[in-house]
Amino acid sequence: MREGMKTMSKDGATANGKRTLTRRRSSILKNQWFYLLVAEVAIAVITGLVNPRFFTTSNIMNILEQIAVLGIVSSGMTLLIISGEIDISVGANIGLSSVVMAMMIKAGYGYVLAVLLGISLAVFNSLLVGITARAFKAPSFITSLAFISVFQGVALAITKGTFQTIYGQFEFIGTFRLWQIVPLSFLISIAAYIVMHFLLSYTKLGRRTYAVGSNQSAAYLSGISVNKAKLTAFALNGLFIGVASMVLLSRIGAAQPSTGSGIELKAIGAVVIGGTPLSGGKGRIIGTFFGVLLMGIISNSLNMLRVNPYFQTVTFGVLIIASLAVSVLSSYRKKEKIKPATVKEEKS
Amino acid sequence: MQKNTLVDMENITKIYGNHRALDRVSFDLLPGEVHCLVGENGAGKSTLIKILSGAISPDDGLIKIEGEEVRELSPRQSIELGISTIYQDAELVDSLTVADNVYLGDELTGRIPFVVDSRTQMKRVEETIDALKMNLPTGILVEELSASQKQMLQIVKALYKDAKVLIMDEPTSSLGMDETEALMKIVRNLRDRGIGIIYISHYLEEIFEIGDRVTVLKDGTSMGTFSIDSISVEEIIRKMVGRDASLFYTRRKVNIGNVALEVRNITRYGVVDNVSFSVRKGEVFGIGGLVGSGRSELVNILFGADRADSGEIVLNDKRLRIKSPQDAVKCGIALITEDRKKLAMLGGRDVVENTALVHSENFRGFLLNLKEEDKLTDEIVNRLSVAVQERSQKIEELSGGNQQKIVIGRWLVDDSDVYIFDEPTKGVDIGAREQIYELIIELAEKGKCIIMISSDLPELLSMSDRIGVMRNGRLVEIVENKDIEEEDMIKRFIGV
Repeated sequence: MREGMKTMSKDGATANGKRTLTRRRSSILKNQWFYLLVAEVAIAVITGLVNPRFFTTSNIMNILEQIAVLGIVSSGMTLLIISGEIDISVGANIGLSSVVMAMMIKAGYGYVLAVLLGISLAVFNSLLVGITARAFKAPSFITSLAFISVFQGVALAITKGTFQTIYGQFEFIGTFRLWQIVPLSFLISIAAYIVMHFLLSYTKLGRRTYAVGSNQSAAYLSGISVNKAKLTAFALNGLFIGVASMVLLSRIGAAQPSTGSGIELKAIGAVVIGGTPLSGGKGRIIGTFFGVLLMGIISNSLNMLRVNPYFQTVTFGVLIIASLAVSVLSSYRKKEKIKPATVKEEKS
Repeated sequence: MQKNTLVDMENITKIYGNHRALDRVSFDLLPGEVHCLVGENGAGKSTLIKILSGAISPDDGLIKIEGEEVRELSPRQSIELGISTIYQDAELVDSLTVADNVYLGDELTGRIPFVVDSRTQMKRVEETIDALKMNLPTGILVEELSASQKQMLQIVKALYKDAKVLIMDEPTSSLGMDETEALMKIVRNLRDRGIGIIYISHYLEEIFEIGDRVTVLKDGTSMGTFSIDSISVEEIIRKMVGRDASLFYTRRKVNIGNVALEVRNITRYGVVDNVSFSVRKGEVFGIGGLVGSGRSELVNILFGADRADSGEIVLNDKRLRIKSPQDAVKCGIALITEDRKKLAMLGGRDVVENTALVHSENFRGFLLNLKEEDKLTDEIVNRLSVAVQERSQKIEELSGGNQQKIVIGRWLVDDSDVYIFDEPTKGVDIGAREQIYELIIELAEKGKCIIMISSDLPELLSMSDRIGVMRNGRLVEIVENKDIEEEDMIKRFIGV
């Protein structure tokens, strides 16, 4: 028997010799964010050559400010997509919660209370999407589709379709710049990325999220409560949506039911561009960061290059297709490389 | 003689990097024979089959189909030449009927153009099915078929494409005993009609039941082709692994202690009917029975993955309240599931995450300890001698045996009192299999209660102290494992 065991361990993992495994850093070429970075640098250089105003501090800060809200929303979306779920009611949710915040500030409740209530509402809304999906065993795509009209309808009803302006009453977050340069909204989005990265990589919550997204049954049979893990992802997604609403409201100084509409598609786009597949179980926040940044840089460059704004919309679609191509191509290379090493372990 | 050889592969070599997956392997197939292909995981069986079906091309060697040399073989050409591969569960459209699937892409049209003549299709398919004596209704949707019926459908489909060569890769690995028997009959039937069959299986008994010749592969080289009558199981195994071995494993005796686990009157309506048994410390309690007899369903209840309608579970004199797998884990019960891919592996995640899964979820607070995870992964990898190169390797890139070791290993990080193994060595090659047996015995020696479900009779008979026989959701008898023959056991399973 003993002898048998030894002959069997083909790959040098002897039964007696202690082995310490190493963790090889995956090659930078396999990371989607690397390609995004290359694309970003290339676009920046080209735009900068054509229009030197691109590299001015004020323009760069402008870009960062413009992608702040998208960044916060995309962080939450990354977690949700990794858990195997999705929420396409983000825009409507932002519309409703920012309208509520604006109305409360307008009515003189003070912005602390208004913001707290607005964020809680966003969390509640996102949880509604999640709970209905789990309870009725429906894809969250469908339940969130349904809730788009619910959120929009409620927002329209309470505002009677009017603009809620709060100019001058809640400008701090939108206008403050650290050392007169760095916009606070961008710093908040960076904080969102960092919090999300920490959650995903260093906490049980993150581990559960990857597990339920990767294989729900295996997660369940390992003692993970799938409902708890997924609803936590929805709640956190709601929290990030709430924070994004707050930043957006402060920057614009006004809200209406259609505020934020369409942002969910951009966020999903950024997450996918960043290398997180919609099938769940995989993905990292750094990819999302560069995905969001790429969108900001491209839309700014197109302005700088005076491209017809109608065509600018086209680029968004092209971008997503291009990112799919990149991820397919890089996975091709991965397979080619792995084959020789694992062919003898292949199941025959 | 040479002229009517269906397939003739000479000196096939396939090189991946600096590894020879196949080294000058020759293989031939005559019409009306079942030629078996055996070898451990990684011996090159799949590679050889993939070359024949055109999925990959060889680096060297000669392929002749019906005497004609074939230079380039694409999957399409391979099918046109009459070579069909029967996969476990692929290539069927779930939402179409059996007959529609057979005629898919080549539908019969009646008098009205563009309208499929379902009736004629159904009639013709039915004739074929009757001729092959298959139990396969033609009018129902494929999604309603069982695994074995799907395989039969693939065979029918292949015959409609004028297949002369059928490749069957592990056709029985997900079938129960009676289904296997039915499939065997069909294979014999096909053989009598002059079709050549290449049959790959881990189950050597099957090969002796239906094979005419057998080719043994080991580490990419052919160990020879033998007539089935001229070789014994022991010889085949020796050639496969390069040493003496048998299907039976000789285990150590373990001192058995007091009763620790008691299962009383567990019932789940329609699935499990009033099952009671007890397991003592250090005892391996085997559960046998046909597929569908309620074995997996029973252990799912014990583990909290399904709810019992009545009954109770007592462990170390404490009545357990198990409503979910979390509760079961907390109570000290571990379940190593049957279907690794579907129920255990986090496919795209790395070895560390897969090993630490249970520990980090159930025995850690909010923060993970990544260093500890690395360390305990090293321990498990060493203890079970898992062939893995680095921590960041994804579990889906490992071989079946190594995947199984990781999946078992995740339950060894923290001690449990009861270990339930559901088909512990399914799809695992002989070497890794013995290591898993060794591990189970080690657990028994530590005084754990072991429950082991197995469809593999030699495994069940060589590992168990007692065997519970399940039939139609009921535990019909519990037998001491003393001098029981395989045939005897099968009779008990079927109930004759």
